[in-house]
Amino acid sequence: MAVGKGKFQLYTRIDPPLSAGEWRLRASQNLEAQAQTGELTAEQLKIDEAEIHFRVKSPRYQLPPDQLLSTFPPANSFGNYGSRLPQAVIKRRTLPWERAMDGAPEGTPWLALVVIAEGEARLETGVDIADCVTPGVTLSGVADVEKGNCLVVRKSLIDKVFPTQNDLPLLAHAREVDISDTELMMGDDDGFLAVVIANRLPLPAKDDDGNEVPVKYLACLINLENQFDALLERSPDPEPLFFTQFVTRKTTFVKATADYDHINMGTAGAFRRGEAIARGPAPRAEANSKGSSSYSVASGVAASKAATSASAKSQWSTASLDASSSIDLQLDMARDFNIAEAAVGNLLDPEYRFPVLVHWRFTSTESTTFRSLMENLDSGLLGDVGEKPAQTAGRMPLEVVETGHVGLEHKTREGDEVRSWYRGPLLPHPTTSDDADRLPLAHSSDQLRIVVPDGREDLSLASAFEVGRLLALSRPSMVAALLRWRQQHYQAARLSSLVEAKREVWETILGKDFVLEDLDALGPLAGRFLVDAIVKQPETFLRAPRPRVTPGRPIPVDGSATDVLGKGLGLGADLFRGDLDSMLEKVRKAEVPKVDLVLKELGTRQIHARLDRELDIERVDLVSNALANRFVFNPVAGPVFPPIKLAPTVIAPDALDAILAAETDNEDEDQP
Amino acid sequence: MSNSKLDILENLGLQLENASAVPKTAFAVDDDSAMPAELRNWLVRLRLLDDVPFAYLVADSELLPPESIRWFYLDRRWTDALVQGALSVGTINSDDRIQLNAQYEAIRAELDVEERNLRKHPDDQRHSGKAGPISGFLLRSSAVSGWPGLHVRAFDVDPAEGDSARYDEDDPRRIRLLRLERLAPAVLLCLFDGIPKVVHIEEPRQGIQFGFMHEDNGNQRKATLRPRDKATFDYLAEDGSKDIDVPFRAGSSGVVDIRRLSEALAKETATGAADGLDSAEYALQLVRFPWRQVFGDVDNDEIGQVFRPTIKYIDMVTGVFKP
Repeated sequence: MAVGKGKFQLYTRIDPPLSAGEWRLRASQNLEAQAQTGELTAEQLKIDEAEIHFRVKSPRYQLPPDQLLSTFPPANSFGNYGSRLPQAVIKRRTLPWERAMDGAPEGTPWLALVVIAEGEARLETGVDIADCVTPGVTLSGVADVEKGNCLVVRKSLIDKVFPTQNDLPLLAHAREVDISDTELMMGDDDGFLAVVIANRLPLPAKDDDGNEVPVKYLACLINLENQFDALLERSPDPEPLFFTQFVTRKTTFVKATADYDHINMGTAGAFRRGEAIARGPAPRAEANSKGSSSYSVASGVAASKAATSASAKSQWSTASLDASSSIDLQLDMARDFNIAEAAVGNLLDPEYRFPVLVHWRFTSTESTTFRSLMENLDSGLLGDVGEKPAQTAGRMPLEVVETGHVGLEHKTREGDEVRSWYRGPLLPHPTTSDDADRLPLAHSSDQLRIVVPDGREDLSLASAFEVGRLLALSRPSMVAALLRWRQQHYQAARLSSLVEAKREVWETILGKDFVLEDLDALGPLAGRFLVDAIVKQPETFLRAPRPRVTPGRPIPVDGSATDVLGKGLGLGADLFRGDLDSMLEKVRKAEVPKVDLVLKELGTRQIHARLDRELDIERVDLVSNALANRFVFNPVAGPVFPPIKLAPTVIAPDALDAILAAETDNEDEDQP
Repeated sequence: MSNSKLDILENLGLQLENASAVPKTAFAVDDDSAMPAELRNWLVRLRLLDDVPFAYLVADSELLPPESIRWFYLDRRWTDALVQGALSVGTINSDDRIQLNAQYEAIRAELDVEERNLRKHPDDQRHSGKAGPISGFLLRSSAVSGWPGLHVRAFDVDPAEGDSARYDEDDPRRIRLLRLERLAPAVLLCLFDGIPKVVHIEEPRQGIQFGFMHEDNGNQRKATLRPRDKATFDYLAEDGSKDIDVPFRAGSSGVVDIRRLSEALAKETATGAADGLDSAEYALQLVRFPWRQVFGDVDNDEIGQVFRPTIKYIDMVTGVFKP
């Protein structure tokens, strides 16, 4: 059931048919049959059990980019987001409920969106997935990627910022939107989306004087699998406050830069402790003042040594070590979040690592909101430059008149530098839309050049014409379409022109009041004329028919048979005379005449052939000189004569000839 | 015979002229009408100034300063000239021009209709009828770059429901958008099919936002949630008498104590939280609507005040620009 246009529906959760992981499908069949000999049991008709192993895949360490539909606030954006909860919209509607977590009630999402202010925790990118989780925690099953990102946070921060175990189910829901509503769909395919909401308002900061300071926030969609216990079970017992503190600038910035200096310079920051205590506001100041005690100095020195001696990423005993050694690896997105909040000992405040599926950064400010931008817009009609136009140094003041025309420099075709008027398609005054006001068709831009009373040219419409012409020329397909279109019209016009010019002829053939479509009948009609003529006068078209019986060729026989035989074999005729025995005897003994014919004839044949060729060349030369270009050039045999045309057959005039003759007569009358 | 050939050629112009097309009113996207379909589909977009270099739209940057919105009427003569220029490609001889002359009326009439159907919702009726005036605005603001996907809505009357009411997509008072496009990261061009009285520009919905109403007091921020009825989505009390102060977790900035918030919501039975708050109900309570900027409200007729012509323009146009 589709939701209505512009509406959406919320679901508490959408459970996947199967949760992600390894599965085994076992199929068994029991057959029973009634045979003549008796009943066949299932034992007799046994069918082997089938086992299929399969895996339900689901993003675990990294969300594929096409799965994230949108984020709020938009990544890398600035704005007043202090009263809006960040959210991530995921295309896969079941994703937050696809994995079960140990110790969590059924239906608890394994994803959480946490919002970290600058300096509170650090994001490590490109980490082996084994290091993406807190040491000691293992995620069984197959990983979807080799390297992932992880968020390293202190337990104290988890208690402060992360959602509690009770909160988690409330922070993910599914949404169904209208498929045709592109704004809500934003490229999704089925209209079902999963939404994960954060539990923290990204507040801007204020400095001592109460002025707002923008704060960078990092939003991370983290995987809580097997680390559900790290979260607080329920919100802490101290009574909640019905107001919240702004992030204070000092607690983040001073701390961060100071840590850096210690690593690089190996110096102590004794003065800093006093500053932090003096300036830090109530709740967070305690943690900070602890952090800037002598402990951080020691860790800074240790870190610089460790970083130079070994690049072992697993040796992350202190926060500042990783901050310095992994700095090159940090992506831009993770910048400003790679410095741990405070170098408190691991024992007191252990570090946890969570795989980050998606992270993005945004900046929360106080003043710039959509509303403030819109309300402060300078609204006016185009061409309105305000009461006091802003003057730009080194520029002529803009020449704009009430009609919207702008004076622009114009280099004419003769090369003169003049100023002409130009006005784009966007006018500051209403236009009339009746047809009389529309522009009559122009065929060249020069037709649209106008000289206004002040003597200057108005090139607005001429420019528009040229822009249109050049845009069409820049699209070969449009040029081709235009030419094809013209050609069609030209062909149609030529046909009707041909018909009009010889209307009488066509009327004779096709009958009075024929239309253009009737011309299609011409082909069959011509065919019928031809067949008719052939049938009437076959000897004219096809010559006389061949006689049914033709006489054989007479064989000339002169003299007696023996004479002929002897002559034919080149032997004397008397050879074949007498009785059969003596004749055979003579034939056996007869000498076969051998004439030296081949050699004799060969000589004469060569001469003949040669003379023929010579004659041919002479003949071609002679004729080509006389006829010039009338012969056919054959690329293999050289120039040859065109086939000689036979004398035309005289054909008795038929009906078509009569019509054509009549037509020619008429034409002659038409043309004096 | 040569005479008859000449005859045919002389007739050609006349025949081309007689073959003037009648504008078609109903055709599919790929059907040829008075002009080939691909030409029509491109010219319609050209008519709405697609691909026209920005310098030709706004001749000088001073006409569109940063953080400004500039309203305009679209010059039909200018767009006509644009189309004529595109059609002039490949006209070589007078026969070509005769043909173009004969077809042009139908082309223009079809484009007048088609430009309104370019952004039509597939389920909606085709729009037809004579071309009316087109107006629009250019918005140059960091709001355009920071809030991609702004929502623009125009009305030809001042809606009686007030500025914050909800309006259906097919509300008859709404004016169609012919084009809504970002020409540059921070420049938005919008064209209306008509002259609106009231224009709403809304923050992009970006999905839907969730949040609270807030109030600042020095270094502290107080947030309130106005509970909604689970069934009707209406506020339980419009005047804010049932507003709930949002509890925050002590010791951290901005972290909402959801457990105590749901306990507070449970006191109002209509919210549906009494039997245990679920995530859909929680999201429903938090939905926040985007900010809507209203331009040209009749109470505050900005357009009329901003532009004060000093000469009678119509007389000048008839005296000078009419051929």
